[in-house]
Amino acid sequence: MLKMIVCMKQVPMVTELPWDTRTGTLKRELAEGMMNPACKHALEAALRLKHEHDGHITAITMGPPMAEEILHEAIAMGADRCLMLCDKKMAGADTLVTSYTLARAIEIFCPDFDLILCGCYTSDSETAQVGPQLAEELDIPVIAYAEDCTVNEETITIKRVSDNFLETLQMNMPGLITLTTQNFAPRYTPIAGLQDAFDEPNILTVSADDLGLDEEIIGLAGSPTKILEVYSPTAQKNNIVMKGAPKRIVEELLERFDDRIGSVIRKDLKVVS
Amino acid sequence: MVFNPCMKHKLVRRTVRDFAEAELGPIAHEIDREARFPWEVIEKMRPLNFFGLQVPRKYGGADIDSISYAITIEEISRVSGAVGLCITVHNSVGIYPILRFGTDEQKQLYLPKLARGEYIGAFCLTEANAGSDASGVETHAVIDGDDYIINGTKIFVTNGGVCSLPLIFVITDPDASSKNASVFIVESSMPGYSVGEIEDLCGMRANPVSSLFLEDCRVPKENLLGRPGDGTKIGLCALDTGRIGIGAQAVGIAQAAFESSVKYSKERQQFKKPISSFQTIQNMLADMATEIDAARLLVYRVCALKDAGKPFSKEAAMAKLYCSGAASRITSQAVQIHGGYGYSKEYDVERYFRDAKVTEIYEGTSEIQRMVISRTVLTEPM
Amino acid sequence: MAETKRSIWVFGDYRNYFQNRVTLQLLSRAKDLAQRIDARVCAVVFGHEVDEWVGEYIAHGAQTVYVTDHPMLKNYSTDIYVTLMERLAQTYDPEIILVGATSFGREFAPRVSKRLKTGLTADCVDLDINEDGILVQTAPAFGGNLLTRIVTPQRRPQMATVRAGVFQEIPHNYEATGEIIYVEMPMHLPKDRVRLISSERQPPREQKIEDASVVVCGGRGMGSKKKFRNLYELAKTLGGEVGATRPVVYSKWAEEDALVGQADKHIKPKVLFSFGISGAIQHTAGIVDADFIIAVNKNPNAAMMKMADVAIVADANQVCTALIRELKKRIRT
Repeated sequence: MLKMIVCMKQVPMVTELPWDTRTGTLKRELAEGMMNPACKHALEAALRLKHEHDGHITAITMGPPMAEEILHEAIAMGADRCLMLCDKKMAGADTLVTSYTLARAIEIFCPDFDLILCGCYTSDSETAQVGPQLAEELDIPVIAYAEDCTVNEETITIKRVSDNFLETLQMNMPGLITLTTQNFAPRYTPIAGLQDAFDEPNILTVSADDLGLDEEIIGLAGSPTKILEVYSPTAQKNNIVMKGAPKRIVEELLERFDDRIGSVIRKDLKVVS
Repeated sequence: MVFNPCMKHKLVRRTVRDFAEAELGPIAHEIDREARFPWEVIEKMRPLNFFGLQVPRKYGGADIDSISYAITIEEISRVSGAVGLCITVHNSVGIYPILRFGTDEQKQLYLPKLARGEYIGAFCLTEANAGSDASGVETHAVIDGDDYIINGTKIFVTNGGVCSLPLIFVITDPDASSKNASVFIVESSMPGYSVGEIEDLCGMRANPVSSLFLEDCRVPKENLLGRPGDGTKIGLCALDTGRIGIGAQAVGIAQAAFESSVKYSKERQQFKKPISSFQTIQNMLADMATEIDAARLLVYRVCALKDAGKPFSKEAAMAKLYCSGAASRITSQAVQIHGGYGYSKEYDVERYFRDAKVTEIYEGTSEIQRMVISRTVLTEPM
Repeated sequence: MAETKRSIWVFGDYRNYFQNRVTLQLLSRAKDLAQRIDARVCAVVFGHEVDEWVGEYIAHGAQTVYVTDHPMLKNYSTDIYVTLMERLAQTYDPEIILVGATSFGREFAPRVSKRLKTGLTADCVDLDINEDGILVQTAPAFGGNLLTRIVTPQRRPQMATVRAGVFQEIPHNYEATGEIIYVEMPMHLPKDRVRLISSERQPPREQKIEDASVVVCGGRGMGSKKKFRNLYELAKTLGGEVGATRPVVYSKWAEEDALVGQADKHIKPKVLFSFGISGAIQHTAGIVDADFIIAVNKNPNAAMMKMADVAIVADANQVCTALIRELKKRIRT
């Protein structure tokens, strides 16, 4: 049986977000959350492998209580069981500490895995760091940005495009791969699945104490990077504002800037009466 | 009782919304213009349990709670009222009577296919002389050996053009002093069954509403739902349930109109300010938001009663009455807020307006709902 | 050996040298930063027969280049390179390590930072030194409407990845000289656990949009896929290219290769038309180098409108179609 772990993150759905300038962290509870798109693709890849190889999927997330929603969604789509790493002490973690916390949880609660699948990056922080760092922490081989994967007994073969090189790589399992959103378009969640996900959730909630982790090494306290400030980058230009009917605006625009635009496109834009 | 925003209901809402926006969103406008039933999306909805929302697991359904059901209908209707109508009619008046009154054989035979969406259901009551007055029904079924022969015409059948398993409300003994009504499960493949032209309606245009003609249509005795004479009971029960879906539908349409109004009023500038800064508009939006919330809660209250096995006729009528009225008011208000653009077919607002109106008419007009409510109010102890 | 001085290291990502100049750009920035903290600028190169790149890096600002040259390193191997970098850093203790945010860099840097138990900031849009002599890493915060300034106060080295196009390279200086330190391939290297089965260089992507002098960018404010198509017509009339924001690509109104933004393409057109784009920094970071920006949006307060030289408050699609008509009239005459 192919034992898989999918690491996922709940990211905010909206693009504008309430930011707690005091701690430099996101006020996540104020926004609706969704499963990070790349993580959903990773889950989809795992679901297909589960089907092909008689597999088992454990979905893991680290986050505030509202993040449990994505675990229910994972079950609705076909994951078998979930781990919810939830503890105030874990809040504000940077990627280094996140990968450390995930690794400890995996070692304690699902140690005999064959494959870990992660989204290549999250839509909110886009660092793409947790996957490779988690692999380092667990001392397993890693291939990032996978677009296609095939499992054969003890090995997994990956295809990916990396800096204009089309590469085929292979590694022995246990290993970790990160998936892009290029492939493995996620299936729609069936309604019956949602019913099941709440009737029989199979979600284990885990605290920092359960992991035997000290407050100083996790969360905001344990993160080597610190946020100094958060600010808005709008640089106000002295610009020209135009309003009104589109036709008139366009005429005026070309009146004023016919030379500027015309010289770039190398055409004469003056009106010939 | 738990209801939105409990996590399950939030997830149901988001799941259905994601699907509806991705699959119906791009074509909702077009299918209304062309009055086209979107088979390609129906196809995708089948494996996701949209056609068997409250059918028990053993028949292949999702067996979800009523609030999740209402949320599903609301979210589909928010994108396409016509498709939301198809789903709710199929699930409520098309399937529920079989669940409540069907024999084990009937359930075994029909529910799995209905739940899979292989059969699309419908409920046919209305006739030329029988709208609000069900006693005006003339379609009749006469025993002939092991079968019944049904003759009559049903009009304004929602899903008429695509249904394969309509439930037909007939009278079995027209000469008796008190008419006996019965309901038959009719398969569209039965000889004598034919579909009339698709109606050209003001709204819900992507739903193929049509007449159904039964000309010496031979239906096996086994297809009688319940016992002879149960028709009225079944009909009333079906409509009670159906009102949950119609209420949810109306809420969905109103929600779409409201969201559009909020967005537009923030962008549209007149007198050098966005119109959302004017008190008139602010008051309109406040009223719209409050009405939608009240409407939604009325629907959920019926759901809770139903799931608890309690009677819910009065509450269902109240929900249907209020939600449909709110939808009409809100969509009209939305057109007003959008001004000329609201009146243009290029935008969606006028579609919401056209779609909303019929929620006050079908499955019992608002006048009938008031009759149901006042009757209860006048006979109930205070 | 100048180990009394602190050093700023730049990883030499040479395999797409001619298309991707990020290493050179980072060397240039490293030079500025080095002046502030009195440090040396060093490049790190792993590979086989890499003298050409070593020379280039010296010519573009590296004062020292650490080189490990071995046949085993002919193709990039993340596993081996991470170990080599780890050992090198442990030996020479750099103050700062900068890595270009190529696909390789984005896998390599986090693993190195993990090994060295230090912090890493990805996709920085700026690097600076503050009055405490610490590297201040500026990166976009969620949604791109905010920027964060991040520091690694305690751990060393301080690490950051940076995309191509953020900094400018110093022109090639034929007179420059530098020190080359050859580092022996370690004797007992753990085996590479990832086996490269095949590697095919793809034909270099046409950089149409990066080289275009006129770009027409569109966002969700265009309204629909059908209306978005009008931008292609406008671009054609202007002889330019079409760009898109991420939401538009997700909705499949435009292809992936039209995506313009921080994580994707940086463009530097002479004239940029921006239709129906609100201006999240993920997008605007990709267009900062545009010379002249004309933005159209119903919302006069959108961030994109503030960045523009001409801000047109109107429906994006309507202005697009009006512009097409007007241009066609004028160009014909």
